[in-house]
Amino acid sequence: MLTVKNLRKEYTRTVAIDNVSFTLQPGRIFGLLGPNGAGKTTTIRVILNIIKPTSGEVLFEGKPMNSSVQNITGYLPEERGLYKKSKAMDVIIYFASLKNMPASKATQLAREWLKKLDIADAETKKIEELSKGNQQKIQFITSVIHDPKILILDEPFSGFDPINQQLIKETILQLANSGKIIVLSTHQMEYAEKLCNDIFLINKGKEVCSGSLSDIKRTYGTPSLKIEFEGNASFLNEHGDVAHVDIYQNFAEVQLNDAVKPSNFLKTLVDKIEIKHFAVVEPTLNKIFIDAIKK
Amino acid sequence: MKKALAIAKWEFMEKIKSKAIILSFFLTPLIILGFSILPTFFAEKDDATTQAIGIIDETQSYFNLFSSELSKYQLKDNQPRYVIINLFKPDELTDSLKADANRNVVKKKLEGYLFLAKNKKDEMLFEYRSLNSGNFNDYKRFEESFNKIRRIEEFKKANIDTSLVSHLLNNVELNTVKLDEKGKESSADFKTQYFSSFMFIMILFMVIMISGGMLVRSLVEEKANRLIEIIVSSCKPDDILRGKIFGLSGLTLAQMTVWALIGIAMAGQGITMFSSFQNLPLLTVYFILGFVLFTAIFVGIGSIVTTEQEAQQITSYLSMITIFPIVIVIPAMQNPNSMLIQVLSYIPLTTPGVMILRLNSSPIASWEIILTLLELIVSIYLVIKISSKIFRIGILSYGKMPSLKELLVWLKEKE
Repeated sequence: MLTVKNLRKEYTRTVAIDNVSFTLQPGRIFGLLGPNGAGKTTTIRVILNIIKPTSGEVLFEGKPMNSSVQNITGYLPEERGLYKKSKAMDVIIYFASLKNMPASKATQLAREWLKKLDIADAETKKIEELSKGNQQKIQFITSVIHDPKILILDEPFSGFDPINQQLIKETILQLANSGKIIVLSTHQMEYAEKLCNDIFLINKGKEVCSGSLSDIKRTYGTPSLKIEFEGNASFLNEHGDVAHVDIYQNFAEVQLNDAVKPSNFLKTLVDKIEIKHFAVVEPTLNKIFIDAIKK
Repeated sequence: MKKALAIAKWEFMEKIKSKAIILSFFLTPLIILGFSILPTFFAEKDDATTQAIGIIDETQSYFNLFSSELSKYQLKDNQPRYVIINLFKPDELTDSLKADANRNVVKKKLEGYLFLAKNKKDEMLFEYRSLNSGNFNDYKRFEESFNKIRRIEEFKKANIDTSLVSHLLNNVELNTVKLDEKGKESSADFKTQYFSSFMFIMILFMVIMISGGMLVRSLVEEKANRLIEIIVSSCKPDDILRGKIFGLSGLTLAQMTVWALIGIAMAGQGITMFSSFQNLPLLTVYFILGFVLFTAIFVGIGSIVTTEQEAQQITSYLSMITIFPIVIVIPAMQNPNSMLIQVLSYIPLTTPGVMILRLNSSPIASWEIILTLLELIVSIYLVIKISSKIFRIGILSYGKMPSLKELLVWLKEKE
């Protein structure tokens, strides 16, 4: 278990993170979400002991995160890049050696990973000879080769085509299932929604909301209705149960007032318009994200 | 420490495989050789062909003697160095003689001509006129030969024994013998002294420039692609700092070994130069300390630069400081105890270079050696301390370079 307690990081003129607390559990993926400049990277850097917080602490299994846990963390930074002139295998072995993994073991594991990510032939090539996607895969491998207990992935999907995004997604899920603590920082809400068990939304250095994905959806997002119909639906604008409505030609998106049940609302419609399709839609994380930031 | 070694190994292996380093391994000795040998080589090398030299002797009393004296000079293949042509014609005016001679020089029929005359006060006028102001060796020969025959003539007029005269006219050459602090003779003369100091400082300069530049560039690269964050999250900043310094030192050592081998191979058995370094161990100590000092500075400064351009500027400025002692090689050898040299010996940045110079030119009191060595070690310690503080923050700051004020804030920050 990784606990972040009352973290605060001040720079000369700004407060990058302000009283941030959360807990990460093994086997779960923790989504650290927020707009640009929200404080995600600073939080990650503090967790990784790259920078020291002004106050607060980060504990791993009850002990402070210091140089002793350096070998059990893996980090994929948002901005990628590797030693261009070096061979892929050499780079992987080097980063493994920085995590105290002997070269022989690293070589063997690297081969397995290269095969798993479909780039077995990259082994002897120089980084600059690889495609951008394959370079990203090498970097992904460098962050997981040493089997870290804590894995921090900053925008892991950027730069991958859909097929490889799928491959990486599956790999991340496997890693989570194997009991790692995974932090996923991303702008791509659809991935956060599909992958994360827990969410922490941060803006301007402060927590906006946090909790398990389902809790957040329940608490922060009101479900909306999608209705396909024939007829004139303009009466919805004056309907007493409706908090907000967007009406299109044959389609409407409705948000109900609290405490109105969708099934009861449906009853009030059937006389007035011909219903083709009626669905209760959970709010997307994207919408919650935008709404929460706008507040 | 294990990680520092891993970093050192990486830095060493990746750099030694690069084309740039292989080039520098072999190019640098060539450049140094060029710098130290070529000038003397050119200066001592004479034109290898016979030259036609004209003489207009208005006094009509020196031509025969002068031309026979000049004819004694020979080229390597025993050909005469100069062919002397008498341009004097008794029935022509000097001005028209000169005009004729000038034309012949321009047409390259003559290399140049010597003009001898006396003014109204009966003083000798002696001129050499040619197209290029070039060869000092020629001037020296003309001057020596003419003065010799003139003196002989004067002595003859005064009825002095000719054999005594030629005996008197032989110059006695001055040999320089350098004593070490025990009073023993050493074989080093002025030239070896000059070249050995020059070479050492040049090598120090090259080594610092090459490896410092590489260090800064690799830091800039690692900052640009954020690899530094992964490295910092894996090891302590001090380990990174040490690793980089070790790696580079290893690289330099390898480089020096290659150079030494090249040097020995080229010099063959004639490596007397090395035996003239009775201070070789001490020189090496100054050299290594100087290298480490500068590398530590480079690491600190390298961590704050963010672009290749800034990196290059800073590298060249710093390297200039190491090469500075070359400027003062000659004054330092002439007067090793001058105030300036004394002061420069104690400024850490110039200590290595200046001490290398002084060690080669005159005995130095042990207390001075101990003091400068201590001073160097203390400054290395301090610089590494300061550098690692700057490094810790510098490697994680992007964008513009920090101001001096910001740097001071960094230095005050506790770990």
